[in-house]
Amino acid sequence: MAGIGFAVRKLVQKDNLTGLFSGYLFSALITTGPWLFTIFALGSIALFGKNFSSPAEIDIFRLSIIYNFSCSLVFSGPLGIIVTRYISDKIYLKDVKEVPGVLVGSLGISFFLQLPFVLIFYFQYIDLPLEIRLASIVNYFLISGIWLVSVFLSALKDYAAISATFAIGMIAGLFGALYLGEIYSQAGIFWGFNTGLGVILFSLIARILAEYPYKLDRIFGFLIYFKKYWDLAFCGLFYNLAIWVDKWIMWLSPQRQILENGFVSYPNYDTAMFLAYLTIIPSMAIFFVNIETNFFEKYQHFYKDIQEHATFHQITENQNGLIQNLFENFRNLILFQGLITLFAIFLVPAIFDLFKINYLLLGMFRIGVLGAFFHIFSMFISIILFYFDLRKPALGLNFLMLVTNVAFTFMTMKMGFAFYGYGYFLSSVITFFAAYCLGYYFLQSLPYRTFIKNNSSVS
Amino acid sequence: MITPAKQEADVCLILEGTYPYIAGGVSNWTHDLILGLPELRFHLLTIVPPQEKLVLRYKIPDNVAGISHVVLQDLSLGAPRIRHQKQLFANLEEPLKDLHSRGSLSDLGNILNVVAPYKEQLGRHILLDSQESWELLLKMYKAQYSESSFLDYFWSWRNLVGGLFSVLLTDIPRAGLYHAVSTGYAGLLAAKARLEIKRPAILTEHGIYTNERRIEISMSDWLHEKPLGWLCFEKINKDLKDLWIDTFINYSQICYEASSEIITLFPGNQKFQIADGALPEKLSIIPNGIDYPVYSQIPRKEHSRPTIALIGRVVPIKDVKTFIRACAILRDKIPDLQAYIIGPTDEDEMYFRECQEVVRFLQLQKTVIFTGKVKLTDYLGGIDVNVLTSISEGQPLVILEVGAMGIPSVATNVGACSELILGNELESPAVGTGGTVTRLSNPGETAKAIADLLTNKKRYEQCSQACKERVRRYYDKAALLNRYRELYQNYLSDHIVPQLLEV
Repeated sequence: MAGIGFAVRKLVQKDNLTGLFSGYLFSALITTGPWLFTIFALGSIALFGKNFSSPAEIDIFRLSIIYNFSCSLVFSGPLGIIVTRYISDKIYLKDVKEVPGVLVGSLGISFFLQLPFVLIFYFQYIDLPLEIRLASIVNYFLISGIWLVSVFLSALKDYAAISATFAIGMIAGLFGALYLGEIYSQAGIFWGFNTGLGVILFSLIARILAEYPYKLDRIFGFLIYFKKYWDLAFCGLFYNLAIWVDKWIMWLSPQRQILENGFVSYPNYDTAMFLAYLTIIPSMAIFFVNIETNFFEKYQHFYKDIQEHATFHQITENQNGLIQNLFENFRNLILFQGLITLFAIFLVPAIFDLFKINYLLLGMFRIGVLGAFFHIFSMFISIILFYFDLRKPALGLNFLMLVTNVAFTFMTMKMGFAFYGYGYFLSSVITFFAAYCLGYYFLQSLPYRTFIKNNSSVS
Repeated sequence: MITPAKQEADVCLILEGTYPYIAGGVSNWTHDLILGLPELRFHLLTIVPPQEKLVLRYKIPDNVAGISHVVLQDLSLGAPRIRHQKQLFANLEEPLKDLHSRGSLSDLGNILNVVAPYKEQLGRHILLDSQESWELLLKMYKAQYSESSFLDYFWSWRNLVGGLFSVLLTDIPRAGLYHAVSTGYAGLLAAKARLEIKRPAILTEHGIYTNERRIEISMSDWLHEKPLGWLCFEKINKDLKDLWIDTFINYSQICYEASSEIITLFPGNQKFQIADGALPEKLSIIPNGIDYPVYSQIPRKEHSRPTIALIGRVVPIKDVKTFIRACAILRDKIPDLQAYIIGPTDEDEMYFRECQEVVRFLQLQKTVIFTGKVKLTDYLGGIDVNVLTSISEGQPLVILEVGAMGIPSVATNVGACSELILGNELESPAVGTGGTVTRLSNPGETAKAIADLLTNKKRYEQCSQACKERVRRYYDKAALLNRYRELYQNYLSDHIVPQLLEV
C-alpha cells in the first residue's frame, strides 16, 4: 500500500483543489478498483445486454463473471500480497532490476496453479457450449492477471495513464460486448468483454515492462517470501475469503437459484451486498489519502527521530502524536461514513424506486450497509497494523473476521429470511471491536515492539 | 561449547579475546606459563567473539585439562516466560542499578542469588526481550541518561547488560584457583568463580583494561554525543561514553575486590589500578621475562658500519617517522650510519608509504633500510644500539632480548621502558643504566642519546654490561615462572580460602 503514497502525496501537495480532488479520485480508483470494476462490469452488461440476449443467457454471463471475480480474488490473494511486499522492499532498497522477472514469474505461477481447478470446474461441473466454456476460462485468467498486475501499479507513478488504461479497457469491453453480442449473441458478449479485459491486462504489462526495462532475472526469487512472510500470505487469503464467504454460504439458502447448467447463486443477496459496498467507497478514498499524507509523515517522523538519536521522551511524544493523529482521522471518518450510512439506510426506498430495484433486497441491503460500516473500519485498522509490520495481529483479525463470518452467516441463514445479512453484520461488529482493542494495545506498546519485538537486528 | 575436563584442574585461566585463538603478547605469555608449569593442570575458560570461526593459533599443551567457551553476545533463548518473572525483575532491579553505579562484589553476589533459582530457564527471551526487561532498561535510562540518544542507550545496555547476563549464566568449571588474565568480563567470571566455588582468585593485568577500553570508546564515532549548549550550567545527565567507561571501571572494581593478588608487569600500571579501586596491599609486580640463556648466547658479529635498529611493526603507534628523523640528524655526525627498521610493513600500508616518503625527502636511502618481516636472529648480532620511539608500549620484550646480548637501548619514556633500561628502586645493588630514556616524538633527543652510545666507547661498555646484568638478574623467564609456581602452590595448598565479605 505504501507505494501508492508517493503519487497521492505529490497530488495533495499541489495544494490546490484540482490536485486534492484528483488525489482523492485516484485513491478511490486504486483502492476500490476491484469492487468498482466488478459492479461496473456487471451493471453495464445487464443494462445493455437484454437488447440482444435472453435473460437466461445474461444470467449465465453474470454468474460466470461473479464466480471468476470471487474465486480469482481469493486464490490470488496470498500471491498478490507476497508480491506486493517483495516489490515494495525492492523499491525501498532502490533495487528494481528484478521487477520484470517477478511479474513474469508470479503470473506464471498464478496461471499454472489455478489452471487445473478452472478446467475441472468449467468442464466437470458447468454445462456450457464449448465457445462459452473457453470464454469463461479465458475470462478467469484475464481477471486473475489483472489482480496481480495491479500490485505492480503502485510502483508506476503515472496514475493518469493507469486510470486511462482502465477506462479505455472497460469502454472497449462494453462496446465489444455490445457489438459482438449483436452478431454472436451470448458468445459475443463474453468474447467482447474479454477483449476489453485483454486490453487492460496487456497494456498494463507493457507499461510495467517499459518502466522497468531489465532482463528477466531470478523470476522465482520472490518465492522465499512465502516462507519468510507466511503470515502475510494467510492475511491475503483470509482477507479476501472473509469478503466472499458469506455470499458463498448464502448460495446454499433455500431461496437460492440453480441454473440448469450448474451455476448456483442467490442473486438478491449478492446484489444487496454489492450495493451496500458502494456506500463505503468515499470513506476508502479519504482514508487512503489521509493515511498516505498526514499520518505517513508522522509515521516516518517516528522512525526517523529514533534513527537520529532522539531521547526516549521525544520518542514517546512522537508516539502520542501518531496515536492522536489516528484518533482524529478515525473520528472524522466515522462521522463522515456514519452520515453516508444513515442516508443510505433511510433514503434507500427512494433510491430503489429510482433504479427499479427489487424491494426484497431492502432488508439485506440495510443490514449490509451497517455491516460494511464496521467491516471497513476493521480493515483500516489492519492496514495500520501492516504499517507497523504487526503481521501476526493483522492475521488474527482477518482470521477472526473469516471465522465469525462463516459461523454467523450459517446461523442466521438457518434462522430464516428475516435474518439474512445479520451474520455478516455481527461478524463485522465483533471484528471491529477486536481490531480497535488490538490496535490500541499495540500502539500503546509501540516503542517496545519497535526496539525489541519487531526488530530484526535483535532476534 | 565445552570440552569436558578430563579431571578437575588445578588452575583455571580466564582469558578474554586472546589465547589460544589469537596470537600476540598476552597469548605467548599464557602459552609459556602453561608449558613452564607442567606439573599443574590448567583449564582454559575463554571468552570468544560471537559467530567467528575459531582457529587454534597454538598447540594446546598436554597439561590443559579442558577448554570452555563463553560467547558474550550469544545468550541462549531460554524459556519464553517463567512464573515469577515480574518478581525476578523486581529483585534484579536494585542490585543491577547498584552494580552499575558503584561496582562491588556484594552487588554481583546479590544478582547471582536472585538469578540462581531460575538459572536453567533464563535466556534471551526473558532477560533481554521481555516486557519486564524493557521496563528495567527504561528505568535505568530515565534515572541517569534521559537526555541521551535512546537508540544508542538501547544498544549499549543490551551490549553491557547482555554481557553481564552471559557471565551470570556461565557454568564455572571446577578448579583449585582462578586466574584472570584481564579485568572486564574475564574479571567478572573470576569474581563469580570466587563467590560460587569459594576458591581464591588472582589477577594478572598486562595492560590496564579500563584504559584500553577508554581509548576504544572515545574513538568510537557511533556513540552519538549532543554538544551541550553554553547555557547549560551543569551537566545533569551523563553521556553514553560515561556509561561504557563507568561500567568497565565497575567491573574492574569487582574483580579487584574478588582477587587475592593483583599482579601487573611494571609499577607504572599500579597507579591506574589504585585509581580504579584496587587495594594497594594486594598489588604486586611480576614482569614478563625472556629466555636469558638462549639470548645471551647469540654471538655479536663484527661489522664495519655503526648500526642501529628499530625492531617493531611499521605502524603509527611505534612513531617510526621520529626514528627516521633522528637518523637524519645522526647522519651529519656519523656519515656511514646504518639504520634498520625490522618488522612487517603490511599492517598499515598507508603509514609505510608515508615513512618511505620521509626517507626519500631526507635523502636517507643509503642509511635507512626497511627489512620487512625477517628472521630476527639473523640481524641481532650486527646491531650496536636498539632504538624504540613508540608513543605507547606495555613491557617491550625486545629491550630485554637485545639487553641479554649486551646491546643497549634508547627508548621513549612509555610503559615499562624506563625501568627496563634504568632499573627501578627495588634493585639492590643498583645495576646502572642500560641505555637512555628520551621524551616522546623528539628526534633531536633520540639522536643525541644514540650518538652518545655510538661515539663514547666507555659509556657503551658500561651500558652493555648493565643491561645484560639486569636481564640476568630480574628478567629471566625461568625465575619469573618460579614466582608464579610459588604463587599457585601457595593458593592451591591453602585450604582456608581468604575471608571475604560473604553475601
